Amino acid sequence: MNNLKQFKQMFLAQLKLTLREKQAWFWGIFFPVILMVIFMTIFGGGSNDDFSTKVVIVNGSANETSAMMASQLQQIPIIEVADPVSEEKAKVLVKEKEVDAAIVLPESAQATSIKLIVNKENEQSVSTQVVAGVLSQFIQQANLQAVGATPTFQQQFETVSSGSSELEYRDFLLTGMIALSIAQGGLFGMVDLVDMRRKGLIKRLRMTPAKMGIFGLSDMVMRLLFSTIQIILLSLIGVFVFGANLFINFPSLLLVFLIGALAFNGIGYFISSFSNTNEAYMGAANIVSFLMMFLSGIFFPVETMPEWLQPVSNILPLTYFADGLRDSMVYHTSILATPFWIGFGNMLLWGGIAFIIGSLLYKRQSIVSTR
Amino acid sequence: MNILEVRNLKKSFGSIQAVKDISFSVSEGEIFTIIGPNGAGKTTILEMIEGLVPPDHGEIQFGEYNWNKHAVTIKRKIGVQPQSSAMFDLLTPEENLNLFATFYEKARPTEEILQLVNLTEHRKNQVKKLSGGQRQRLAIGLAMISDPDIVFLDEPTTGLDPQARRNVWEIILELKKLGKTTILTTHYMEEAEKLSDRVCIVDQGLVVTLDSPSALIEKLTNEREVRLSFLGGEKASQDAEHFANALDSVTRTEREGASLKLWTIKPEDLLFDLFKFTKDKDYQVEQVSIREMSLEDVFIAYTGKEWRD
Ligand SMILES: Nc1ncnc2c1ncn2[C@@H]1O[C@H](COP(=O)(O)OP(=O)(O)OP(=O)(O)O)[C@@H](O)[C@H]1O
Ligand SMILES: [Mg+2]
Repeated sequence: MNNLKQFKQMFLAQLKLTLREKQAWFWGIFFPVILMVIFMTIFGGGSNDDFSTKVVIVNGSANETSAMMASQLQQIPIIEVADPVSEEKAKVLVKEKEVDAAIVLPESAQATSIKLIVNKENEQSVSTQVVAGVLSQFIQQANLQAVGATPTFQQQFETVSSGSSELEYRDFLLTGMIALSIAQGGLFGMVDLVDMRRKGLIKRLRMTPAKMGIFGLSDMVMRLLFSTIQIILLSLIGVFVFGANLFINFPSLLLVFLIGALAFNGIGYFISSFSNTNEAYMGAANIVSFLMMFLSGIFFPVETMPEWLQPVSNILPLTYFADGLRDSMVYHTSILATPFWIGFGNMLLWGGIAFIIGSLLYKRQSIVSTR
Repeated sequence: MNILEVRNLKKSFGSIQAVKDISFSVSEGEIFTIIGPNGAGKTTILEMIEGLVPPDHGEIQFGEYNWNKHAVTIKRKIGVQPQSSAMFDLLTPEENLNLFATFYEKARPTEEILQLVNLTEHRKNQVKKLSGGQRQRLAIGLAMISDPDIVFLDEPTTGLDPQARRNVWEIILELKKLGKTTILTTHYMEEAEKLSDRVCIVDQGLVVTLDSPSALIEKLTNEREVRLSFLGGEKASQDAEHFANALDSVTRTEREGASLKLWTIKPEDLLFDLFKFTKDKDYQVEQVSIREMSLEDVFIAYTGKEWRD
């Protein structure tokens, strides 16, 4: 009874603190919205494709494989396929930057090579990355088909190549942005703890009979509430302003959301345990956030990244959080699907280990260094 | 009756012996002041008593309670204002007090505390917008919210202007009227002299001396310093010094131009004789004073060190 009263009061205080913390609103709400709007308008496009890349196809000798590939390439919204030309002509076009890339399709049904020709100057450009990514997907799929593709992969193949095309990148980006904002909320939010420790507030609370467990709980509930606001706001903007299509499986979403948010708060807690100043904390959190932002398939699919980097992506929790959100918000995947549980496992592991090490560090340094 | 008893407290941080050996007891209803220079170990002593820092050695006893067995009971009995007044900057004084009130089973009404620390007017301003003195008063208020029997105030007046300092003094005296026991630390000798029933002077982690301010001063010495200055200039003070030196009661003299300092164990007799002499010689005395002994002199006498605020 008294615990409930304490929780209520502490939660109320947390609510006021959060409402009055302008930084939290800027970085937690305003910034992700702006970031999403920018990315959406540049790459997600209205009805006229703002981001598109022009490629030509070189179809030396028409065959079964090349025909299939040509038709699939045509379906990808951001790739504008020009009429087939000869390889020499294609090289000229690339050199003169008439097109962003040329794709040389297999010469026969048995041939195994697909060539991508890009301008050296553009090698690092977004267009090249996207085309390369898409192409590598194809190759992967083709390989899988060659050895007898498994159904799971088949399904993925379809979501990439067939279908409602233009909506996809928006959905992809929207869910990525939601994952990123919630992750950053957890990563950066724990700076409060450093601040409280630095100001002696934790020590002050420990001089009272206040139950620190209840204090922690009220703090966590407040953070989850804040993340819920992020998810709703970003979804609303994504759907109503940019026409994203969501097909939400609520039980799945709830679970992904909870586990993801807790995991990233766990990592934030870990960082706070060894940071003695706000600056130190923000530095560490920024590095972690920056790495994850670009390696976890938030803005572009993991598959578009260089091969050697992909294993790194595959251990990062944000990869699984973003995928989990996509599965539950866009693909309506049921909670029972296996990929989900791999993701949960990964996030729980990260969050759990971070939290445990953090707690140990907090215990070890105890009060002495918290002055 | 002793409400708090502290025996042979010791605490080191690495190679620094912050508290070497401290013992004292505090009786109910008194204002007990720990005074000492920076780094003397005051805060460390308080934090050990408040249960925040485990002592390396020694005992702390609140009547029949101790930290090992009765932590929650003790936390309910004490109120603490730490040296760095920690509170929620984005909440108002009222909200801070209300929040802290929920930590305790019984708490005093927030309005009462606001009135006690004179913050009713500012109760709806966020703490970050309060002045240093107002913050400090809120910190004292937070220590009072649970209606504790014992209040610990760690340098409640450091950094305040004279007016604000006097406000805090009033609050502390108010607490005494309410029957509370107050244990406070300070750098200001004047404050210790004015407020405390007993003063414990600490230096380098040890108790230098402990008693009521007046007893400490009395114990110190019965020699007093008398200062005079003459209108007649050098000649007059020279003659007066000569005369004084011949008196039995005068132990020492010091002269600088027209002003003269005399040390004596019988200031009344000295003044009587001296004024008789100046009247006879027709010297005109411009200023006379007997310097009051203060706790500063006590500190100097015991430690041989100069006192700096
Ligand atoms: N957590 C700590 N780690 C290391 N040294 C410490 C710690 N706390 C105190 N000390 C050292 O112990 C000594 C006593 O410090 P303490 O804060 O108790 O002094 P104080 O009398 O309160 O000083 P002040 O008047 O400046 O508040 C100092 O030399 C200080 O540097
Ligand atoms: Mg101190």
